[in-house]
Amino acid sequence: MNIIRAILLLIFFVTPVKANTIYNLIKIPNLEIYEINTKNKLKYFYAVRPFRLGTQKNIVCSNANKKDLEEKYKIIYKNLNRYSYDYLKKINLKYIVLCENLSISELYTAGIPDNIMKTLILDIQFNEDYFERVIHHEVFHIIYLQYKEIFNDEEWIKFNNPKFKYAECSTCTKNIGLEKYKETKGFFTEYSKSTASEDMAEVYSHMIFLKKEEINQIRKSDPILNNKILYIENKIKQIDNTFTF
Amino acid sequence: MIKKIKASASEKFIFIFLIILSVATFSTYFVVKNKCLFVKNFNPKDITFKKPNNIAILNAPCGNVIIELYPNVSPNAVQRFVTLIKSNAYENIAFHRVIENKLIQAGDLEFGKKGNLDYGKIGTGKSGLGTIKSEIDNSFNYTKGSVGLARTFKNDTEDSQFFIILQDEPLFEGEYTPVGKVLYGLEVLKKIKYESRSEYILRPDFINSFKMLN
Repeated sequence: MNIIRAILLLIFFVTPVKANTIYNLIKIPNLEIYEINTKNKLKYFYAVRPFRLGTQKNIVCSNANKKDLEEKYKIIYKNLNRYSYDYLKKINLKYIVLCENLSISELYTAGIPDNIMKTLILDIQFNEDYFERVIHHEVFHIIYLQYKEIFNDEEWIKFNNPKFKYAECSTCTKNIGLEKYKETKGFFTEYSKSTASEDMAEVYSHMIFLKKEEINQIRKSDPILNNKILYIENKIKQIDNTFTF
Repeated sequence: MIKKIKASASEKFIFIFLIILSVATFSTYFVVKNKCLFVKNFNPKDITFKKPNNIAILNAPCGNVIIELYPNVSPNAVQRFVTLIKSNAYENIAFHRVIENKLIQAGDLEFGKKGNLDYGKIGTGKSGLGTIKSEIDNSFNYTKGSVGLARTFKNDTEDSQFFIILQDEPLFEGEYTPVGKVLYGLEVLKKIKYESRSEYILRPDFINSFKMLN
């Protein structure tokens, strides 16, 4: 027992000093500050070297190319700037990590939210066509994680046709299309059909991204989506009644 | 008859050189050994403060660190800090976490007390007064010398541990509850024992005393 204690103490005292403030704050290595003086106090970091995360090191992302970074930062900044400091504080989002080719268990993904560490990792190389909207999709996942008690999957499922079933998980299906359906029929995209939380995120991101007239049109023509939009609207109001889509 | 032998010029030179060398070695030994030799020790009695009621004096091995507390920024945190200072709770408590030219941390009242250090648990101890809520909404510039309350990964877990930063840390704003800023004595803090291979210190330095000016 004493030997184990001595070994533990030895490891404890010979651990090299990693005096890296970013790492201490969000536990992601190889990051540097991109921009921290923003109106809504979001802090943007970028990967200077590839990093691996998770207990099984299954989250991988590469360092960001400077040119891509400059270009994509403007887009990300513009989109996230619509969220106020108060809103971001309520949903627990403070740090944005920009990197390339983000994957989890070898599956490429647009973003990885972590409400505990107040961090959203974004892949700046993600599909150009949906890049902007997907930023809000990932923001919703932060909200969903932060307010699990507010968003109820069972309630949500009841909006759908009783015969419809979501996939077992968001990566358990090959239907991951992000293009907006011309005829929605209760779902904005193919990916909406993966899980309830992904469906919610798709509704939220479209509510942010589409023009108000388009949303109103959809509400009139699609009763299922109308219910879903109303649900998201009410739940977000519960979190911050000053927020407007 | 014994003949007196005169020393040659080179012998005289070597002799003088050896004397100078030994004097230099001897004096260097004492200079190096005394890490506080060139550190100015500020006497709070010689200084006029705008808000003397908000001044706290931490006495470390190399002298006084004079801190102004900001109750208007973090009222509850400063109240907790002052309560602990006034009860002499910080006396003989270790500077258990020190990163050279970056940060010093102290205030583990449970496992950081002189004579009762627990290296396995240091940094996790409590004050017995319970935790307090984080006060991170007011804007505060975490410039060199800022004093904040330490916490666990989660907010609202501040207790008695505090840190003083030795370099600007803009990312600390909105993360850690500020309680004040060092007005005089940053050099004293830079002399607190650190280790290059570890943030946690074996045989650390201790707070001699921590008192309010008034």
